[in-house]
Amino acid sequence: MLDRIASLGRLGLDIVASLGRSGRFLAGVLSGVPRPVTGFPLLVRQIYAVGVLSLAIVVVSGLFIGMVLGLQGYTILSDYGSESAIGQMIALTLVRELGPVVTALLFAGRAGSALTAEIGLMKATEQLSSMEMMGVDPLRRVVAPRLWAGFIAMPVLAVIFSVVGIWGGMLVGVEWLGVFEGSFWGNMQSSVDFLDDVMNGVIKSVVFGFVCAWIAVFQGYDCVPTSAGISSATTKTVVYSSLAVLGLDFVLTAVMFGDF
Amino acid sequence: MGSTAYISLKDVVFSRSGRRIFDGITLDIPRGKITAIMGPSGTGKTTLLRLIGGQLRPDSGSVQVDGHEVPRLKRKALYTLREKMGMLFQSGALFTDLSVFENVAFPLRVHTKLPEDMIHDIVLMKLEAVGLRGARHLMPSELSGGMTRRVALARSIALDPELIMYDEPFAGQDPIAMGVLVKLIRDLNSSMGLTSVLVSHDVPESLSICHYACIIADGKVIGAGTPEELKAHPSDQVQQFLQGQPDGPVPFHYPAKDAGQDYGLGGHT
Amino acid sequence: MAQRTTEIIVGLFMIAGLAALLVLALQVSGLSPKAAERTYTLYANFNDTGGLTPRGKVSMAGVTVGSIESISLDKETFQARVKMSIHAEVDNIPADSSAVIRTSGLLGEQYIDISIGADMESLQPGDTFYSTQSAMNLERLISNFASGK
Repeated sequence: MLDRIASLGRLGLDIVASLGRSGRFLAGVLSGVPRPVTGFPLLVRQIYAVGVLSLAIVVVSGLFIGMVLGLQGYTILSDYGSESAIGQMIALTLVRELGPVVTALLFAGRAGSALTAEIGLMKATEQLSSMEMMGVDPLRRVVAPRLWAGFIAMPVLAVIFSVVGIWGGMLVGVEWLGVFEGSFWGNMQSSVDFLDDVMNGVIKSVVFGFVCAWIAVFQGYDCVPTSAGISSATTKTVVYSSLAVLGLDFVLTAVMFGDF
Repeated sequence: MGSTAYISLKDVVFSRSGRRIFDGITLDIPRGKITAIMGPSGTGKTTLLRLIGGQLRPDSGSVQVDGHEVPRLKRKALYTLREKMGMLFQSGALFTDLSVFENVAFPLRVHTKLPEDMIHDIVLMKLEAVGLRGARHLMPSELSGGMTRRVALARSIALDPELIMYDEPFAGQDPIAMGVLVKLIRDLNSSMGLTSVLVSHDVPESLSICHYACIIADGKVIGAGTPEELKAHPSDQVQQFLQGQPDGPVPFHYPAKDAGQDYGLGGHT
Repeated sequence: MAQRTTEIIVGLFMIAGLAALLVLALQVSGLSPKAAERTYTLYANFNDTGGLTPRGKVSMAGVTVGSIESISLDKETFQARVKMSIHAEVDNIPADSSAVIRTSGLLGEQYIDISIGADMESLQPGDTFYSTQSAMNLERLISNFASGK
């Protein structure tokens, strides 16, 4: 019995210690003033790696999710004869929720795990150590550009996801199921507010981008430098990022859209 | 402090995850000479290099490099000091996303503001010194183990450091590659006046090039001096290590309970 | 890949993001590029606003002429006071027009429809509609029907 309590205590201490390490790590990454001359090309390359290369999966998923929303929405709404509200339903769901959240989940799986594995492998092959011994801070040189890249790429991806999704929904609703195009867009425009809906969605994705990138680079940097350690760090990145995104989504939704 | 000692460690105690790795090590590494640090695997030879490089801090004791007390240096000063150090890692630690040329150019690009054509010339010079000028367009994944280490060596001397530390340079090398490395280490030391620290457990190679050697075991220095002095050292432990005898003061068996007890024999005690 | 190619692709990526945001702003949320349209304010008091919400539309003869800005409770009359902003070019709403709460479709959202009066005078900014018709309450309608009143 006492052993159980002790192991629970140890778990708690481990969690607190790891939170503390990740906080200190973040402070170390952000404390450095980015040097525009050397920093910019590194940042561009990382945006390419985490953003542009994730574009395909984001566009395809967005298209399908939008199409499914169109189909499901039509089936439900046509029971009440209000299938013209389909545009509004698709747009609000995507812009407020699915855009930021699904993009963040895809990002964690596609880019986050790659970031963790890359940094973990750099650690395992002593590249980070050797950089440190050359008088170059790996936190600034390796980690910071990746963190900022995630932060920048995520909202871009989320916005593209929403647009593609709405287009997919229109494809199904208007082209296939025959909802009037005018009422599709009209309903959408009268119910979607730019600041309250679109910008709040963008703010969500900015937060998610930061958290996902932070978790990914920290897990890579903090991993045990063996193959088992890297694989467990990669798993942790995906699991923790997904949980953090879903949890934060609830909190942010409550703050942004809740009536209190 | 003595004018000849470039690095001096005094009563260094260091432990990691509850295990005491160094238990009061005192060691002087003279300027401009090759010093070999030898010892059985797992005695923390690499840890020693990390202490010198400031990547780890000792629990107590002092680590001085060129008159600077390393554990007390502020971040910035530490990074400045490291520009004078080169370190050759066991795996080479080349940046896998950069070509051989860019790997060697990396420290120059980060720490100097030299024009591109000058960087080009310096990199070729350094690659020439390790005999790999022709391999400059290759990627690290296309290199053999020995070549990787030679490129890493070229990279660590790119900034003309005062000190270079070799972490197990001979481990896992074929005889030819080993011969090349031995020659390179000796040449670099004599031509550039480098202070070299060599961590290794390859006794004959190390002893053949070093001016001084010291042997570490059980967290202590058990023998130090010139290669000749060591070969005539009275300690059994030193002799066992130098001659590679399987059993001796360092037992063949990892410390264990009495065998009878472990196998469940011998009844209750 | 050459650094320059990467830079160009990343630039295109960022442009695609901005374009997508523009689509969300213009096409999806119907934000008109001529920014803040000039409007004036009218009020209407209702006994029951039903499901009327801020940002709902105000229309005349089916054409949107403005939007609902806020809904509050008048503590003296215990009526709901709705503040509307009407497009400035619609400046000749007859003074005896009435504001009616209607529902689009059976379950659609509720909006205010202005049914036109015949007065020569028109409502001025800040005026209140003289006559209003509250939201049709489906439940009350059904119970009235059932009890035969």
